[in-house]
Amino acid sequence: MSSRGSSTQTGQQRPSAWYAAPAVLFFGLFAVVPMLLVVYLSFTDWDGFGFPQPSGAGNWSRLAGDGEARDALVLTLVFMVLSWLVQTPVALLIGVWAAGRQRNRAILSSLFFLPLLLSTAAIALLWRSVLDPNFGVTQSLPFLGQFNFLGDTSIVIYTVIFVITWQYVPFHTLLYQAAARTIPASLYEAATIDGAGRYKQFFQITVPLLRYTIITSTVLMVVGSFTTFDTVLILTGGGPGTTTRIAPLYMYITGFSAFEFGYASAIAVLLLALGAGLSLLVTKATGFRDMNSQQEGA
Amino acid sequence: MTSQRLTRVGVSASTLVLLASVAACGSSGPSGSGGGGGGEGGTGQVWALQDTTLNPIEEASIERFNEQSEAGDFELATFGNDPYKQRLRTAIGSPQAPDLFFNWGGGNLKEYVDAGTVEDLTPLLDENPELRDAFLPSVLAGAELDGKNYGLPMRGMQPVVLFYNKSVLDAAGVEVPETWDDLLAAVDQLKAANVTPIALAGNQAWTELMWAEYLLDRVGGPQVFQNIRDGVEGDWSQPEVLEAMTMLKELIDRGGFGTEFASVGYDVGGASTILAQGDAGFHLMGSWEFVNQLGQSPDFVEAGDLGWAPFPAVTGGEGDPSNLVGNVSNFYSLTADSENKEAAEEFLSTALTDETYIDDLIAAGDVPPVTGVREKLEEAENSEYTTFIYDQTVDAENFQLSWDQDLQADEATEMLEQLSLFFLGEQTPQGFVDALSD
Amino acid sequence: MTVAQTATLPEAPTGATAAPPVRRRRGGSTSGRRERPNWLAGVLATCWLVIVAVPLYYLVAASFRTRQDYLSTSPLKPPTDPTIDNYVTVFEGGFLTYLTNNVIVTVATVAIVVAVTVPAAYAVARNAGPLVQRFFSIMLIGLAIPAQATIIPVYLLITQLRLYDTLLAIILPTAAFALPVALLVMTNSLRDIPKELYEAQTLDGAGPFGVLRNLVLPLAKPAITTISVFTALNAWNGFLFPLVLTQSESTRVLTLGLWDFQGQFGTNVPGLLAAVTLSVVPIFVLYLVGRRYLLSGLTAGFGK
Repeated sequence: MSSRGSSTQTGQQRPSAWYAAPAVLFFGLFAVVPMLLVVYLSFTDWDGFGFPQPSGAGNWSRLAGDGEARDALVLTLVFMVLSWLVQTPVALLIGVWAAGRQRNRAILSSLFFLPLLLSTAAIALLWRSVLDPNFGVTQSLPFLGQFNFLGDTSIVIYTVIFVITWQYVPFHTLLYQAAARTIPASLYEAATIDGAGRYKQFFQITVPLLRYTIITSTVLMVVGSFTTFDTVLILTGGGPGTTTRIAPLYMYITGFSAFEFGYASAIAVLLLALGAGLSLLVTKATGFRDMNSQQEGA
Repeated sequence: MTSQRLTRVGVSASTLVLLASVAACGSSGPSGSGGGGGGEGGTGQVWALQDTTLNPIEEASIERFNEQSEAGDFELATFGNDPYKQRLRTAIGSPQAPDLFFNWGGGNLKEYVDAGTVEDLTPLLDENPELRDAFLPSVLAGAELDGKNYGLPMRGMQPVVLFYNKSVLDAAGVEVPETWDDLLAAVDQLKAANVTPIALAGNQAWTELMWAEYLLDRVGGPQVFQNIRDGVEGDWSQPEVLEAMTMLKELIDRGGFGTEFASVGYDVGGASTILAQGDAGFHLMGSWEFVNQLGQSPDFVEAGDLGWAPFPAVTGGEGDPSNLVGNVSNFYSLTADSENKEAAEEFLSTALTDETYIDDLIAAGDVPPVTGVREKLEEAENSEYTTFIYDQTVDAENFQLSWDQDLQADEATEMLEQLSLFFLGEQTPQGFVDALSD
Repeated sequence: MTVAQTATLPEAPTGATAAPPVRRRRGGSTSGRRERPNWLAGVLATCWLVIVAVPLYYLVAASFRTRQDYLSTSPLKPPTDPTIDNYVTVFEGGFLTYLTNNVIVTVATVAIVVAVTVPAAYAVARNAGPLVQRFFSIMLIGLAIPAQATIIPVYLLITQLRLYDTLLAIILPTAAFALPVALLVMTNSLRDIPKELYEAQTLDGAGPFGVLRNLVLPLAKPAITTISVFTALNAWNGFLFPLVLTQSESTRVLTLGLWDFQGQFGTNVPGLLAAVTLSVVPIFVLYLVGRRYLLSGLTAGFGK
């Protein structure tokens, strides 16, 4: 870590690269090293005994032929797409609605945000008891009582997506609400004069002007799909059977219950690669690189 | 230049201070409980599974040993179930390894024995025949591999028992089933009476496993599973497996477990509550269920509504109806690299059969695997139940350790997964066999 | 609710993350544009409100019921004979230990992140050297790295460092994975400081450290608040790192404690719900006191 050539060359007193050193050290040790280590581990057959020794690419050929891993990965993608399809319209509509100024909306929207205060563990445990087939809330209600939301393999996926939606919609609503408030009222006034109805206004003014928020929110949902791990673990444990066993959970079970840490690491590398791909998407979609280069000369 | 150097120093110094302060608060918090470091030849480490009732008893037994013995001192570290298995694997063979560690015997222990990390205790038992005789032979056998003994029993026996709700059975006119056909008939009667015949905490596969274990034993005898485990004579494709799974399939399809079991937990709002509330007739569970019911639904137990019985026999099956499955017992094993071997062997040969220790276990509702404790059990509380458990284990021709403990971890995980698919109806008996025998 | 507004400005979409919770345009330009009520959105919002409110009502109401009362009547019924026994049980079950651990983990994580991020962001914002900029690009890739995927090597690392089952084992990786977002937020905020201000400081003879102390720290306060809240929420709600890296009761944090309560209470659902309710209380108080800051931290953190 040298600071030569970067700190004082312009004649101004600029901070040296050393200022970033603690961050580099820290991120390096606890984030970059694990990322490299996981690649190494994927080439071992470490089963938890002692320190891992290399054992060739066996995990990778196994992963290539593992139907369960493929299922888990497909399921992860299905989760991503379905949660986007459910969350985006709901969050967009409520966000735009909550951007209005009536007093009751302020009170209502502060209620909307309450789920944000609960930890994932709290939310998952709460919903587990709400949906309990014998003593739960849904069981005591007239129509809902006939469903076994967490036990029926044909509906449990939707149940999990619903709980995730319940957890994250407030956050996305928050994004849309803030963005919608920045749309100048004059645009709507002009449209009204032109005779455009509410729905036309919504699709011709609101949605186009919110497109960057939609992108941001989408990217966050996609990346967030990897973090739904905890919700699924507590809510269903991946079950019944393997119905909700998404890829991160498959990795966790393979590692920490079957003790095939080597193989689990191969799955982890795959997830990391997906994550890095999505990361590129983040930087591209938000145009961060452009802004970065624009400001570099400043 | 000087100012630059100064800032550099400043920034790194502040980082150091920060890290140091965090380190300080980090290490003051946990008070180093799980941390190993037994290898220094100082205080020996004993690792065991967390249990609010039993840990204090084990702690007291270790303290008594420390006071009485000259050989050395021990201390107890306890872990929850999953962390325990993880932690033990990474610690064994490292300098952080414990001296004595808790295990379930069987295949679970075999992994450690095969890795050369467990001390053979046969010489110790040979030198002290009275120690060998102090334990029930069928239980001591639980930690025997290839004729050598690798562990001594240290907690109570936990066979799986068929619990039932007496008033539910009475209301439906059902007798306690003695054979599999009785059970099937009882299922039909209970269904007709609008209760779930059998409570099953099906969101965790280990509860479903109990049914498969008992059925395979009754149908084919204990040898069938032992073949699978040892991988010598035959695997899951032995015909008895298919036969047992087909019978189980029949029970599931008949509605024996109702339709909602897949989301019922053993924990929250679980199967025990369903039985206690009178919503189900039977519940197949480990012997700990009695203490659990006593704690959770004391009225139910005290009213005498909780009944228990051995698993029904299968007419024409190979397995003896006295055979049991479950947790044979838990064992203490000695690590091969221990630097406190002498002290550890003294501990093993005195502390586990110590009268106070046994009395404490009995008082906590445990049934210790020690010969001649029946009279003590009779005098203690809930003797009707504890003597039943004791007699069952003494009379058992075979006591099979739970499959998920007896198989290696990766095989066990796969087996449990297939089993849960099977209970969901997503795997046929033949599919179950095929998936596991490849 | 002005926090993330710059997110939508086409010219600087990522500015959302940098936006400090400024107080402006309250009752601003959009007021008065609504002429007739928006029925569709209103109905949807009401439905959603029911979906949000019912479970929360159930959570609180049921936590005041006895187990027998809960099991024998409808779960949605208000408690006939309210009891605080469940809360007593939760406190006796080690709740305070878990709470203390959570506070230690959260405070230490925030302290590390802030202390490490501010100078680093200063370097990125004011040092165009390739080294620093490359570092910044690498950190940005870290933005979308799911921490879950590194749990096995982190576990190996922590056991090798002999930190297993200490609070430090949770703090270090949690802080490391909060760094990318924090750095992005902080850097954007520091770039918003007009360069004339930096130059004026330099003309006065201040070295980089002087600038950091006299200019950057005061002006970065809103951003520091934002990253603190974001990091704190992450640390407070973290589940996977505590799950894998700690085990004993003395190092248990709240989220894990909740999971454990579930086993400990067996079938006592009201007891579990009391524990869940209690776990929400600290954040709820924070929400009442500093709603603006809390929401700003949430949006800055992309809600991870």
